[in-house]
Amino acid sequence: MSARKFGPKETVDFVVVGSGAAGGVVARELSQAGFEVLVLEQGPRYTAADFKHDELDYWFNSALTNNPQANPQTFRKTASEKAEQVTAVPALIYARMVGGSSNHFTGNYWRLHEVDFKERSLLGPIEGTSFADWPIDYAELEPYYTKVDWEVGVSGLAGASPFDPPRSKPYPMPPLPVKSSGVLLERGARKLGLHPFPAPMAIASEPYRDRPACAHCGFCIGFGCEMRAKSSPLYTMIPEAEATGRCEVRSESYVSRIEVDERDRVTGVAYFDKDKREHFQKARAVVVSANGAETARLLLMSANGRHPDGLANSSGLVGRNLMFNTYAQVNAIFEHELNEYKSVQVTRIVHDFYQSDPKRGFYGGGGFDGRIGPNPIGWAMFEPPPDRAWGAEFKSLIEKMPRAMISATHGTSLPLESNRVDLDPELKDAWGLPAMRVTYRDHPDDLANARFLQDRATEVLQAAGAQEVWKDPVEESTIGVHLLGTCRMGDDPKSSVVDRYHRTHDIRNLFVCDGSSLVTSGRGQPTMTIQALAFRAGDHIARFAKRGEI
Amino acid sequence: MRNNDTTRRDFQRASGGALGAAWLGIQWSDLAAAAEHAHEAAAGTIDHQFKVLTPAQARDVAAIAAQIVPSGDTPGAREAGVVYFIDHVSAGIYARNAPEFLAGLTAFQQEFAKSHPGSDQFADLDAAAQLAYLKSVEKTPFFGGMRFLTVAGLLALPSYGGNENKLGWKMVGFVDRHVWSPPFGYYDQDYPGFEPYPKAARS
Repeated sequence: MSARKFGPKETVDFVVVGSGAAGGVVARELSQAGFEVLVLEQGPRYTAADFKHDELDYWFNSALTNNPQANPQTFRKTASEKAEQVTAVPALIYARMVGGSSNHFTGNYWRLHEVDFKERSLLGPIEGTSFADWPIDYAELEPYYTKVDWEVGVSGLAGASPFDPPRSKPYPMPPLPVKSSGVLLERGARKLGLHPFPAPMAIASEPYRDRPACAHCGFCIGFGCEMRAKSSPLYTMIPEAEATGRCEVRSESYVSRIEVDERDRVTGVAYFDKDKREHFQKARAVVVSANGAETARLLLMSANGRHPDGLANSSGLVGRNLMFNTYAQVNAIFEHELNEYKSVQVTRIVHDFYQSDPKRGFYGGGGFDGRIGPNPIGWAMFEPPPDRAWGAEFKSLIEKMPRAMISATHGTSLPLESNRVDLDPELKDAWGLPAMRVTYRDHPDDLANARFLQDRATEVLQAAGAQEVWKDPVEESTIGVHLLGTCRMGDDPKSSVVDRYHRTHDIRNLFVCDGSSLVTSGRGQPTMTIQALAFRAGDHIARFAKRGEI
Repeated sequence: MRNNDTTRRDFQRASGGALGAAWLGIQWSDLAAAAEHAHEAAAGTIDHQFKVLTPAQARDVAAIAAQIVPSGDTPGAREAGVVYFIDHVSAGIYARNAPEFLAGLTAFQQEFAKSHPGSDQFADLDAAAQLAYLKSVEKTPFFGGMRFLTVAGLLALPSYGGNENKLGWKMVGFVDRHVWSPPFGYYDQDYPGFEPYPKAARS
């Protein structure tokens, strides 16, 4: 079957806004269940052949991501400040293309643990935060995590981590071959009595379905996969949805507004095509999966007389509780060559510090991995300490790049209502729509936890025999790539935006599913969980539709 | 730190994101459009004719770059043709932003002239004096921009006009290929395989 093309006057069963980690899955599930689905994606559609090894263009020129000129944003730390336009790097970054950020991500794909869903009950409230339990538990999500492993394609070793939650099935592919950074992380961690384990990755370690295995080209983080080995929806969910003959993916279609009628039912969406001409697409229901930043912005931009604060926003929480996951980094140089510019980023992870421990004096937990990050330009630009940033010392340091690695930490971010996405009152984007305004300041516990994890990672690299080790300073975040929590899930319409099935509390035929649904941040690397939620949402939405309950 | 003054931690944190080019205070949004030049360079014919920089400007830009990544026992920014990268991207793809960069360069030259009445230009100083002078201006946006341009001119694809003969990549031990296979480095060559933890550890 070839992809469906809907005519301009047709009413589709579902419009799905966004074709990324969540939108791709929802589109596949709904079209395979027999519904007619139109996916509207603001970015272009690339093929594997379009992707380049061009670090300058992809990392320094926003070639694949939202662009600070066309898609401008403003940023501030607190609501008392005037948000300033960011000209160099957007505050919230996402890949703007079919398949979304799953094209350029690292592909870390471990599951949340059982504790992540009920931490508020276990630990008690945290003053000044929106810390809450999820309305669902791990057991409820487990079958859908397994679905991600097998339908999307995850490489890993079941049972390797003593801390992993129970699983109903092993991984479909073995772990990717260990890199020197993984060997060293494992060596140092085992010396300290920790339990490093092979990283589960959404990258094919062997041929899987119709896709080839990873060729270890090394242009992974920040790049689209030229081998189709990275398990992006571009190569997995989207073609499978189109193969039903009931799904069209319309790229360069930028949704500006969701319309509702006087009975509070969504009637369709307005969008701009690539020539900035406006269209209206009629739909029986809409699923917004535009990412934790754009989803909230779209709901706010869709305000009308009956919904002056935006759609689905009776709680006032649309855009609030934005969470990034904290990041900290340790750099190391070893005696021999690692050549970290080859292959995938991460092959070993440490999760011994996953749980929050009141004895540490702050809330939070997480882990750390071994990798290099973007290179060579990125490493040379940003890794040398300030006193070795240029001159002979700089040169001698960058000559050691083959012997370098980093350990990156991933940790919790507490939900705070003050951290949010909303509409800038003045600035407009290239389509004349209100620019995104971002307000974000890490909770002090989040920074304390990031420093704690960074210290543990430092000990591991030292135990592994590093010749030089230096830490990057841990500072308040001004950039987020994990865009979480802005339409949180919950049973109570007063304290959440969507219910446990991703239906908005306010509008019966409007659903939201993506990073915005997360109630807590987990410990980083959220895409696996976003996709498990999307499989579950697709399953339930299809059932509702079949029963006439939409 | 603000997004307009992004730290290296932000860079890594933005894993997968792109960093706009305002390291220079200039925008680079057309950088990728250098297709024609890319073909030229891919054919190994990097053009050594300056398109934007005057000879005096080129001398100073080359001298600054050569202090950021000096030559010595091994080649540096000078041998890698960083000045041609800077000139060429100023000529085509970031022509609309070139005035801002050139204004920064002019200000640098004017400040230098004020503090060195006896010297014609920065490039005429001996190496030690150049180094000392750059130390005094290393916090300026212009120097920050020059540092970025030098690193990019050293390590970006040669199709952008620098990294001549892949000298930059050789310096940092980087090889651009589409396929690798394990072992990737020294430490993974004798890895015995992942040893599972005893059940007792599984708490």
